[in-house]
Amino acid sequence: MNAMGPIDQHRVVITGIGSISSLGHNVPTIWEGLTTGQSGIEKISRANAEMLHVKIAAEVKDYDPADHFDEKQLPFYDRFTQFALIAAREAIQDSGIDFQKDDLFEETAAIVASGVGGWTTIDEAFTRMYETGQARAHPLTVPRLMISAAASQVTMNFGLKGPAFCVSSACSSGNHAMGEAYWMIRTGRARAAVTGGSEAAFSIIAQRAWESVRVLAKDKCRPFSKGRQGMVIGEGAGMVIMERLEDAIARGAKIYAEVAGYGLSSDAGDIVMPDQKGGEKAMRIALQSAALNPEDIDYINAHGTGTQMNDVTETAAIKGVFGNHAHALKISSTKSMHGHALGAASALEMIATLKAVETGIVPPTINYGEPDPKCDLDYVPNEAQEMTVNGAISNSLAFGGLNAVIALRKHA
Amino acid sequence: MTDEEIKKKIYDIFEKEARVDRANLTEDAVLEDLNIESLDMVQILFGIEETFDVYVPQDDENFKLEKMSDVINGVKQLMAEKAES
Repeated sequence: MNAMGPIDQHRVVITGIGSISSLGHNVPTIWEGLTTGQSGIEKISRANAEMLHVKIAAEVKDYDPADHFDEKQLPFYDRFTQFALIAAREAIQDSGIDFQKDDLFEETAAIVASGVGGWTTIDEAFTRMYETGQARAHPLTVPRLMISAAASQVTMNFGLKGPAFCVSSACSSGNHAMGEAYWMIRTGRARAAVTGGSEAAFSIIAQRAWESVRVLAKDKCRPFSKGRQGMVIGEGAGMVIMERLEDAIARGAKIYAEVAGYGLSSDAGDIVMPDQKGGEKAMRIALQSAALNPEDIDYINAHGTGTQMNDVTETAAIKGVFGNHAHALKISSTKSMHGHALGAASALEMIATLKAVETGIVPPTINYGEPDPKCDLDYVPNEAQEMTVNGAISNSLAFGGLNAVIALRKHA
Repeated sequence: MTDEEIKKKIYDIFEKEARVDRANLTEDAVLEDLNIESLDMVQILFGIEETFDVYVPQDDENFKLEKMSDVINGVKQLMAEKAES
C-alpha cells in the first residue's frame, strides 16, 4: 500500500471495545452500571476532600496498578497511560484481531487522545521540587508526563508501526482522535486503528482550578434538569478497534457498528461558552459525511455536561439540525453516571453509544428531576429504555468551541 | 478596612476585570444591567477572593448577587464570618 497514494474509499467498522471508568474496570461491568443507572460519582477518596469546596468526582475505584502491570513496566506509566493500556488491551482482545497476520501492524494507526496527559506525574514533580526543594527530577518524568505518552505506549505494547500520535482538544479530544482514525482508514492511509482517549487529571490544584471556573456541581450531575448545577470531573479511558469493513467480514469479526461519518467545527466564540451554530454545524457535517438524514438517527449520546449553558445550547442545536424529528429522538447524557472525563469523555461515550447500537438498550440520563422548560426533548430520564438503534450520533462540544461529532450506523 | 475602602476596592475590581465604566458603579446598580460577560464575572469573583481573602460560595440560596449592594454587603459578611472563625 502506498500511504501517500490516491485516496481510496473504504467503509469502516468497530470490532472491539475496551474501557475503564468510575463505573468499573472493563466494558461488561461499566455497561451493567450504565443500564442500571448507577452513579460513579462519590466523595473524593484519593486526596483530602476537606481541602476542597467541591468534594465529589467520578474516580476509578478499587484500582491497583499492580493488578494490571508488572513492577518493571509501571515506572514508565503515568495513571493516564495505565488507563489507556488497560482499555486498549481489552479492546484488542475483544476484537480478536491479529496484527501479525499479513503484517497488519505496519498499517495500523494508534491515535490516542488526552486533554492534559501525565497530570499526576507533573503534580508530583512540581510538589517534589517546589515544596520539598529537591532539585533532582526523576529521569522518567518527561517520558511519563508528555501528552503523547499513552499513544507511544500503546504502539510499544502492541507492536503497532503505522501512523501514531496524540490528539488534544479538551472535551472533544476523544471524538477528534477516533474521527481522524476513521478518516485514515476510510481514505486508505491505514487499514486498522487502535484509537480512543484517556484522562486522569485529578489533583487538589486541578479541582481548585475547576472550582474557580464555577462550572462544577457540588452534589450530583443532573444534565438537562431544571436547577442543574454543573459538571463533575471524571477519569478513565475508552479504546476501540477500527477496521475496513471488508477485512472485518473476511475474518468473521463481530461488528459493533459502522463508523458512518464525522463532523467537525469551531465556534470561534467564547473560550468557555458554547455556540449553538457551532454544534449544529458539526452535527450536520457528521450526517452529511455519513449520507444519513436526520430521520435516520434514533439516539444521540449528548455532550450533556450538566452546566446551565451547555444543556440549553445543545438542545437548541439539536432542534436546529433535526427539526420536528428532535422530539422523536432519544437523547441521553451518560456523564450523569461516569462524570466528565475530559479528554477521555468522548471515548467513554463512544463505548456507551456502540453498546446501545449493539444491544438495543439506550442508557439513561440519571438524576433527572424537574424538567427545564428550555430543555424539552426526551432525555431518557433515570431508566434505560429498549429501542432499536439503527443510527446514532455522539456529540462532543468542547471548551474553546472545538466541536466533534461521530455518526454510527447499525451493521445489518 | 473601612466601609469606604471595601467599596472602593470592589469597584476597582469591577473596573479592571470587566472594564465597567466607573460612573455606572453605584450601590443600586443591577449586575445584569452592567452587561458583564460570564468569564469576566468569574474573574471578578476571583479578584474579590484574592483581595479580601474570602471564599465566595457558589449556588448558595443565602448568597445571591443581584445588585452591587449585594456584593458589598456580601463581602462584609464573608469578612465578618472569617474573623469569627
